[in-house]
Amino acid sequence: MRQVPNARSEFTTGARAFVPLSMSIIPFGVVCGAAASTAGMTPLQALAMSWVIFAGSAQIAATQLFAGGAPLLVILATGAIVNLRFLMYGASLAQHFRSLGRRWQMTIAYLLTDQAYALTVVHSTQHPDRQDHLHWFYLGLAGATWASWQLATIAGILLGSLVPPSWSLDFIVPLTFIAMVVPLLGDRAMSLAAAAGGLASVLLVLPLKLNLIGAALIGVAVGLSAEKLRVEA
Amino acid sequence: MSTVGSGPTGDLLVWSMIIGIGAATFVIRLAPIALLAHLELPRWLKQALRYVPPAVMAAIIAPPLFFAGGEPTMSPDLPRVAAATLAALIAWRTRSTLWTVVVGMLALWGLQAVLG
Repeated sequence: MRQVPNARSEFTTGARAFVPLSMSIIPFGVVCGAAASTAGMTPLQALAMSWVIFAGSAQIAATQLFAGGAPLLVILATGAIVNLRFLMYGASLAQHFRSLGRRWQMTIAYLLTDQAYALTVVHSTQHPDRQDHLHWFYLGLAGATWASWQLATIAGILLGSLVPPSWSLDFIVPLTFIAMVVPLLGDRAMSLAAAAGGLASVLLVLPLKLNLIGAALIGVAVGLSAEKLRVEA
Repeated sequence: MSTVGSGPTGDLLVWSMIIGIGAATFVIRLAPIALLAHLELPRWLKQALRYVPPAVMAAIIAPPLFFAGGEPTMSPDLPRVAAATLAALIAWRTRSTLWTVVVGMLALWGLQAVLG
């Protein structure tokens, strides 16, 4: 019977680890809800984005493409490419969660975010003795993230329709992404990937709003080349 | 077969987009956790995936600095570029989304008021 309190305490530890993250996740969720609603989605659709997709970058990218009149296939492909990074997180988490049942794995997969991944890896490295209950830590952290994301989306849907366009609140979208991308730029190859992606997104004139996909691929190619050159240099 | 560029519109487009991206994302999230007990991602793929977040995020950040009002122009929107630069410095120093957004918005409003 020792397992029950342990599972619970790990769950609580996970939920508590969310508190500092809330400062970045809640504003981002508000932005997603507001953007979807000002792009012309109904409140139900704007909220469905947050619980069906549950991935802020893909939600913003899809919303912007939808507002710009992009065709469905391009929106789907862009959303999938933006979320390809979860392959990397899943591959890294698989070593911890491969022995769990299918229901646990599906829950873990649905709740996977950049933040849940990063903090779970940190927690697992810092507490090698608590591996048996790592999924409970993850559930506390990712569950708190999920609940806050939904509430923040609702707040954004309500606020988005009240604020006049002259306030330029659309600018919160690039600001939120600046806050996310800047900490990644300590590494030169990562900086070059970002610079190439940003430049390409402005300069590329591709039909059907394929710019984001094109820019992402160019950024990845430049990052890989920079890494390869550094290894060989 | 619908030709590329037509396809569903309105409500149907929005629901197809939500369910389509949702399903694709769930598969991407689940596949490695459920399957990788047996197989490893190839090294080149792992390396490439590291660069997806910076490339995608920068590609989302840049266009609104240049395409104010939705119209593509080659002349950058100066208040937005200046406010974004300041916000990047704040992000570097504080690592805080909240401060980045607050300072960036205040800078944009201030610059828009001054530069008209």
